[in-house]
Amino acid sequence: MDMTLFSNLALGFGVALTPINLMYCLVGVILGTLIGVLPGIGPVATIAMLLPVTFSLSPITALIMLAGIYYGAQYGGSTSAILVNLPGESSSVVTCLDGYQMARQGRAGVALATAAIGSFFAGCVATLIVAMFAPPLAEIALKFGPSEYFSLMVLGLVAAVVLAHGSVIKAVAMVILGLLLGLVGTDVNSGVLRFAFGISELADGIGFVTVAMGLFGTAEIITNLEMKDEREVFTNKVTNMFPTKEDWKRMWKPILRGTFLGSALGILPGGGALLASFGAYTLEKKVSKYGHEFGKGAIEGVAAPEAANNAGAQTSFIPLLTLGIPSNAVMALMIGAMMIQGIAPGPQVMTEKPQLFWGMIASMWVGNLMLVILNLPMIGMWIKLLTVPYRILFPSILVFMAIGVYSLSNNPFDVLLMMLFGLLGYIFVKLECEPAPLLLGFILGPLMEENLRRAMLLSRGDPIVFFTKPISAGFLIASILLLVILLLPNIRKKREEAFVEE
Amino acid sequence: MKRLTLLAAAVLYCAFASAQGWPTKPVRLICPYPGGPVDLSSRVVAQKLQEALGQPVVVELRPGAGGVIAAEAVAKAAPDGYTLLMGAIATHAINPSLMPNLPYDAIRDFRHIALVVQVPNVLIVNNDLPARSVAELVALAKSKPGRLDFGSGSTGSTGHLAGELFKQMSGTFMVHIPYRSSAPAVLDLLSGRLHLMFDNLASSLPNIKAGKVRALAVTTRRRTDFLPELPTLDESGLKGFDMTTWWGIMAPAKTPPEVVSRLSAEIQKALDMPDTKERLKAMGSETPAVRTPEAFSAFVESEKALYARLVKVSGAKPD
Repeated sequence: MDMTLFSNLALGFGVALTPINLMYCLVGVILGTLIGVLPGIGPVATIAMLLPVTFSLSPITALIMLAGIYYGAQYGGSTSAILVNLPGESSSVVTCLDGYQMARQGRAGVALATAAIGSFFAGCVATLIVAMFAPPLAEIALKFGPSEYFSLMVLGLVAAVVLAHGSVIKAVAMVILGLLLGLVGTDVNSGVLRFAFGISELADGIGFVTVAMGLFGTAEIITNLEMKDEREVFTNKVTNMFPTKEDWKRMWKPILRGTFLGSALGILPGGGALLASFGAYTLEKKVSKYGHEFGKGAIEGVAAPEAANNAGAQTSFIPLLTLGIPSNAVMALMIGAMMIQGIAPGPQVMTEKPQLFWGMIASMWVGNLMLVILNLPMIGMWIKLLTVPYRILFPSILVFMAIGVYSLSNNPFDVLLMMLFGLLGYIFVKLECEPAPLLLGFILGPLMEENLRRAMLLSRGDPIVFFTKPISAGFLIASILLLVILLLPNIRKKREEAFVEE
Repeated sequence: MKRLTLLAAAVLYCAFASAQGWPTKPVRLICPYPGGPVDLSSRVVAQKLQEALGQPVVVELRPGAGGVIAAEAVAKAAPDGYTLLMGAIATHAINPSLMPNLPYDAIRDFRHIALVVQVPNVLIVNNDLPARSVAELVALAKSKPGRLDFGSGSTGSTGHLAGELFKQMSGTFMVHIPYRSSAPAVLDLLSGRLHLMFDNLASSLPNIKAGKVRALAVTTRRRTDFLPELPTLDESGLKGFDMTTWWGIMAPAKTPPEVVSRLSAEIQKALDMPDTKERLKAMGSETPAVRTPEAFSAFVESEKALYARLVKVSGAKPD
């Protein structure tokens, strides 16, 4: 750390704290929170719609607002996950697992506060990491090629199975079913359609949000309706709104670990951020002494993935700002927004437009602060939402879900598909199969296949590359170690629970 | 009977009036590719059209199946001028040869109204590759057949087909490595895992200017204003090499001629406005030479013929 960092940050805050930029930052995070809370309506559609508005703004103001929408949405996504078991974004799936259980125990307020605090802390740290180490970290992103990504995904999958609770067979079966569902669509290598049955809506595969909302949200509603009025009970036992001393003691370490894991994975543009919340949850379950509580409303299970998710959202700006490489659809849109303003994102942004670069980083910190200030007082209001009788609440949730899924690609087919996955999810509940491993397989499967085949193409069919590249070899050795743990029966007895939801 | 005649007259009048008074309600511009330059330019043009027509022009995203879903929707929409398509090289020139059972005809089902954006691709190579010109690259590829890798955003993309055309015209053999989009391919090019790529000019420009990758040539017949010192492939020994990525506004085939000419006039006016020019230029576009619906139709037909040949040569079509 040298003096230039401080002068750079001073320059950045000088830009971010002007009244107009503050105002647009606020507009961005409010909008982001709203679309995050509404299931399905994602930041991509919102940012695309708002682009024409930004034409008349200065580039930095436009970017501050758009970035605010992006991380605001990450933030808001946890609210609907905790309150009604609806993951609106891929990153909030994991928050559903324990967050919703906490809500059922009357601890929705604590869960929401934990998510807010975890996100805020992670956002601050990750912003600092971006400010201090962006260029060297971009070099790490460059070190990850197809073989490294493949091995990382293998580790992710093995970890999911090793830590799964209940029946291992069921967990493996769900992962494999997820992998198979992930195969639907156009094969990247040959361009051939697989399992699309001539339906052009399936040519690009099944949407993650569609599957997640069906398996979690719709299935939950069906299960609740089956139980008559039991669902209304859990708001009556609201204990405390904010974390107690005991809660604080349990959450700070997971937040810290989640932040660092999320920051690290966020740098990788090839799907690292997707793994952040899953990875943080799995890690936490393994190291926490409350591992047995996971899936039953453990506060660590909310704190760690929320922190990881927000940290990853911030550090994914590193490949964007330093290499011009977008790590997801939102980032691609931001590149478009920059281009339209006459700024070409890439290695020169930092040196040629220091005001823009540092102004944006400073605004990310300001935006995170705004989010906490906005969201903490809102918790009371969200809790009130749960007192709405379920017979009124569930149709509204269904309508919002349908709107959200429809808005993904303005296609009614997706709504139908969500309902089908809802039925499937209900069957899973009855069979006591957990949908989380399925979703992990669904995310990782296509990425794994793509990177495996690409690595093999590049090596002309020689599988040794996975072991000769040090990073890749490291991940594979870790995977093998985890598998050995799985296969040793005495350790197996102590195997802890990962993806369980009652 | 009299009532029926009246009804028929009323219907006729309505049909006539709708073309006369067009537009009397919001116009939808369907865009098949969310987030990217096609989406952005759709919004730039929609905003200008909205000002000129006095009715909202709404960009509606209908992604999926490489643009087939959007193109099919517009091909089957009512030809009343209220549903337009931002049709592109993929939907109207490449897909017809690449995809079996395409649910629309790129020529017969559409009225091609205005070409909006034309972007060149550039041949970029990793900095460590010894080749400093196209001739040196060809020599290198010939000395190591099958050892050079080129990446692209997907099988059947312009980046892929440009590479295949390059291989055919130069008599070399290189391996195509397909990606899900061009961003991860650029990452692998920067890090040296790929040797070369035919990438969109706008997205590679910053890396070229920063010296992170080396540009060897541009794929268009004319040199580009963005990098005037960069030679074309045509002048580098691959005679006749000419490829651009393009997209433009189209309507269902039977759209009334008055609507087509009004739209064409307004879009051309918008394309000549300095702020529109500047925004489209930011996407690497040079103002297209094709300026009338007839010329655009002819352009689409010639492109379709070109890619029919290229797709066959490349073997990109899945069996």
